[in-house]
Amino acid sequence: MPKPKPDAFLPLKSNWLHILVCLVEGEQHGYGIMQDVLERSSGKVRLWPATLYGSLKRLIEKGLIAESGERPAPELDDARRRYYKLTPLGRQVLDLESQRLKDLVRVLDARRRQEARS
Amino acid sequence: MSTFAMGCSRAYRCIARAFPHQYRAICGDGLEQLGEDVVPRVWQQHGVAGLIRLFADLAWRLPCEYLFTWIGRLKEATMTDDRFEGTWRARQSEASQWKVDQPAPQQAFLRFEPTDTGYLMVAYGVVNGEACTERPQVIIADGRRRPLLDLSGRPIPGVPTGAMTFGSKPDPQTLELGEEVDGQVLGAGRYKVSADGKTLTVTNKGTGLKGPFEVVMVLERVVR
Repeated sequence: MPKPKPDAFLPLKSNWLHILVCLVEGEQHGYGIMQDVLERSSGKVRLWPATLYGSLKRLIEKGLIAESGERPAPELDDARRRYYKLTPLGRQVLDLESQRLKDLVRVLDARRRQEARS
Repeated sequence: MSTFAMGCSRAYRCIARAFPHQYRAICGDGLEQLGEDVVPRVWQQHGVAGLIRLFADLAWRLPCEYLFTWIGRLKEATMTDDRFEGTWRARQSEASQWKVDQPAPQQAFLRFEPTDTGYLMVAYGVVNGEACTERPQVIIADGRRRPLLDLSGRPIPGVPTGAMTFGSKPDPQTLELGEEVDGQVLGAGRYKVSADGKTLTVTNKGTGLKGPFEVVMVLERVVR
């Protein structure tokens, strides 16, 4: 099957971006992702469980994330949890999205500077 | 936890279990468990308003997920001019190759049975004078990745955790299937029916439990 091109996913949906950012540092389970997004956005973005799992399902189907077989040490682990991690494609998509957002901010800054000068 | 919050947890679990099979096959009981974990916290932090928001999220996603499932089935059902359905028998051909750490079969058959979502593919034959059958494979050629599980939805012994399967049908005469772990392809197969519909050429490449393999087989239709 032809692999989807990473730029075909851009611009990333907001929920997808939040989830992928959570997984940059390593594997994470559903509750961990939910808490991470909430904390990182200072409580402004909350991914409710059904929305979160709907997004996880779609990200898995698109090949951007995968379920991880590795588990933390048993004393730190909750056997019920499923862990998710970025795939190489997911990482590529996130890099491209990050570049896209940086370019956008650069354009915005340049326009603001121009506006301030005039 | 208060009785009310416990009741809400139970209700959440019941509704979460009503999600479509395809959703649960990928997410497992994660939604139920997460709901169970979240209900008491939402109740403590946000009270009734938080619980309403939590259940609204669930109530909204439930029909959406069924809709996505039905759309997928509808796409499969409207697949026209099915060329694969039926039984195919391997024949001697110059194009055939057998680069596998296993003896080549004396006889090999492939059967494609149409299902609601695609096909059930069963491979069987005779190896070393003994009849053998491979694990039946569910084929859903919609381009999506799904966990590689057996027909009962259980993990397959020897298959790495997190293995995904995917399939696509680039044209009515071709099926492309693959299996991957962590974005790395374990195996890829191409099934192509000839223009006259009489032969099926199967090309399988990848790395199995016993090492790399590459198989090319030409099969002819025996039963529609």
